[in-house]
Amino acid sequence: MSKITRRDFLKIGATSTGATVLAGCQKARRWVILEPYVKPPEEQLTGEATWYTSTCRQCPAGCGIMVRVMNGRALKIEGNPEHPLNQGKLCARGQAGLQVLYNPDRLSGPAQQMTRGNRQYQSISWEEGINTLFQKVKAAGNGLAVWLDSTTSGHLYDIFQRFSNALGGSKPVVFDAFSGVTGYPLLTNNAQDLFGSATLPAYHLGMSDVVFSFGADFLGTWLSPVRYGVEFGNFRSQPLGKRGYLVQFEPRMSITGAKADRWVPIRPGSEGLIAQAILALIARNGIGPSERIARIQTLLDTTTINNLDLQSISEASDINLGELNQLANTFGTAERPIALPGSQITGQSNASESLTAIQALNFVSGAIETFGGFSITHQPPLPGLSRPNISSYQEVKDLIDQMNSGQIEVLLIHGANPAYSLPPSAGFLEAIQKVPFVVSFAPMIDETAVWADLVLPNHTYLESWGYQVVSPDFDRPIVGSQQPVVTPYFDTRPTGDVMLTIAQGIPATAKALPWMDEVAMLKETITQLPSGATGGSGTEVLWARFRQYGGWWPATNPAPTTTFSPLSTSIKVPSPQFQGGSDQYPYFLHLHLPVFLSDGRGANQPWLQGSPETMNTVSWQTIVEIHPDAAQALGLKDGDVVKVTSLYGEVEALVYTYPAIRPDTVAIPFGQGHTDYGRYARNMGSNPIQLVGDQAESSGNDLLWSSLRVKITPTNKRVDLAIFENKIGVTEGFINQAFPGE
Amino acid sequence: MDLSATFQKRRWILGALIVLILIIVAYFVLSSRAKASSEQPIAFNHQIMVQLGIDCLFCHTEARRSPAAGMPSVEKCMGCHKVVDTTNTEIQKVTSYWEKQEPIPWMRVNILPRFVYFSHQAHVVLGGLNCEKCHGDVGHMTIAEPVVKMDMGWCLDCHEQQANAHQLRDCVVCHQ
Repeated sequence: MSKITRRDFLKIGATSTGATVLAGCQKARRWVILEPYVKPPEEQLTGEATWYTSTCRQCPAGCGIMVRVMNGRALKIEGNPEHPLNQGKLCARGQAGLQVLYNPDRLSGPAQQMTRGNRQYQSISWEEGINTLFQKVKAAGNGLAVWLDSTTSGHLYDIFQRFSNALGGSKPVVFDAFSGVTGYPLLTNNAQDLFGSATLPAYHLGMSDVVFSFGADFLGTWLSPVRYGVEFGNFRSQPLGKRGYLVQFEPRMSITGAKADRWVPIRPGSEGLIAQAILALIARNGIGPSERIARIQTLLDTTTINNLDLQSISEASDINLGELNQLANTFGTAERPIALPGSQITGQSNASESLTAIQALNFVSGAIETFGGFSITHQPPLPGLSRPNISSYQEVKDLIDQMNSGQIEVLLIHGANPAYSLPPSAGFLEAIQKVPFVVSFAPMIDETAVWADLVLPNHTYLESWGYQVVSPDFDRPIVGSQQPVVTPYFDTRPTGDVMLTIAQGIPATAKALPWMDEVAMLKETITQLPSGATGGSGTEVLWARFRQYGGWWPATNPAPTTTFSPLSTSIKVPSPQFQGGSDQYPYFLHLHLPVFLSDGRGANQPWLQGSPETMNTVSWQTIVEIHPDAAQALGLKDGDVVKVTSLYGEVEALVYTYPAIRPDTVAIPFGQGHTDYGRYARNMGSNPIQLVGDQAESSGNDLLWSSLRVKITPTNKRVDLAIFENKIGVTEGFINQAFPGE
Repeated sequence: MDLSATFQKRRWILGALIVLILIIVAYFVLSSRAKASSEQPIAFNHQIMVQLGIDCLFCHTEARRSPAAGMPSVEKCMGCHKVVDTTNTEIQKVTSYWEKQEPIPWMRVNILPRFVYFSHQAHVVLGGLNCEKCHGDVGHMTIAEPVVKMDMGWCLDCHEQQANAHQLRDCVVCHQ
């Protein structure tokens, strides 16, 4: 070709224009098209947002939320400023709740499986599904078992409990990885023993000048992280410009450890020993006010105070004696010190004793009786209100045994995902296959729903009704309200309504559950609440205010309970026992709940998957954090794939060298390793619960999940870490690799 | 190497580049304007509606109450067209959307960039403007078309003439 002719010029022009216009249309399409309603809802104004209050269900804390809705679409979730628990604040998991609602892998209607486990689902009608469920439940009688999770609405717990009660079955088992790992059953049973009330403790950091946190990652995932964020703010900026002093004892630096004034990298399992040593040192050296020393003398006998082997505690915890003395001084001379027992303690062999020793610090400091740094959760303001009662691990084991022995005819599973969150050695997968009929109410197929005959999808929480008796609450009892903020997008049905429908067919359950639907039940229960901060009287007004303000709470805070029976237990913390010998398994395993994925229920939300995890910025992957010296000794670099092996199992993880961890400890976050649960969760990383065995700690409340030793075996594989500074990055590069062709 | 061939090749590339730049410039200039009216799913005739004495706000009812003027729901169209002019092919299109219970995918006529905050309510209620002031004489149009280039200069021309111009020329009035 010698020169550009007019024709060539036009050709180039036409091609480029075509391409540009096409590209333009593709991109702008959503912005250019106006789709009016077919039938508009009343009082709906285009361009005007409506805000609905509800309750977050991304963890059991129960923060109040407000959802911005435009033209029937939920667009944004924020904290409810009126709600006394979270006071308008909300965490990343709460914000990501929209992706629970809009998840592309949600079930669009009820389905059944002819062969369980083969993932071949056939759509059925609701009439068919409910009829099958009814026939099976009716035939099962007291062979009915119910498995719920810790975020189940109070009314749904109530419905299931009444239902099984009426049939003579046992009460629902409430267990998920979050409540298990955070140690709910142990914390409540310990509170029952010490304070006479089986409820979760709350720690008022804002009232305190020194906080000793024994591994409590309260800015990450511990119990009620948003409220603790508010408390932490008050703790750091106190009246008269005072700033609280935080000491964090933990083998691996968490986000809370990073915020602490002093981070003490202790050996795992030595938390209780340190608490005990601090008590003995305060009494022995006469540190601080005399009434505190008198209190210690009621807990520890003179021989323990004088002869406690501090040298061996120092060795066990890896804190030298001088530092131990210094810490005792800090705690003993503080005006209002409090101590927090973290999650990891609850999975140790000395869990109960350690917990008691740490609570004893609060008793000695006066946090419990005098200055109000500690409180226990209030009883529900009405006897008719339910709070899911978290089951101990022993109760979980009992149910699995019953399933194995053929006593369970029908198993109903709502919210929980035991096939994912229990260690394989617990034998859940074998047990569920022995149950003749299994029904899952999951809105999308998870590892447990794979083993169900029938999946009757519930609405997601932004489409559902409910209430939550907040636990832990802090200064007052709170009943959070949950209401639909959008009309349900799919042909799903509220599990409460399904259960109330089938209840009508069996005389015993019809008597126990006389309501037409769950809203009638909720309304009847809620409107019996006494007049609260939101005022109003009369059924309709109370019901409207409950939904409008996001819940009920008293107008004035009740006086703090200060009349606990004084602790009479003597404190004696045994040394921790680890599973696996140190010669074969040289590293302590520190498992922890990451901020975004939590116990794995966040893994189906790409916003959470893609958020760089605090402290290591890794997203989408399972890493094992290793101290750089330990990694060098093993010849490992960032991104090397290693096998982590315990007595019970083995998982693969990517090495992340992390200087803020003890060289004798490796850390793995929970959250990944799903085999189902939608496209964003499936086949990402590994699930470290596979490293955990089946034993419960001595009181039977919690799994022995943090007393493991592991070994690290290099493989010859390498995978790029999904971190900002890597060439793969955290977003596009990684997503293209993980989801080719999408 | 044949130098003249290289030169020819360069001219090719240069030509392509110039065309590309022209297209990009044209795209940005034109993209703030409307989409061509022929793209509308239904050839809606504004003129007939206005001649019959139907007020703008009868259909775009939210202009007084909300930032958006709003598009009538399919249900509203069918309120009359179940019986009115049912043999018209365009109206039959509306009926078919209604029967499928699907929204009508109208194309926007006037597009403001997303960094501009504009409220119909403020202009109609506080400013007391009538629709024609900005949208032109839609009553004499068949398919609505953009008549003014809604850029910042045009907005400010009018804002400057108002009694409270000192407030209305503040950036955050529109760029919130």
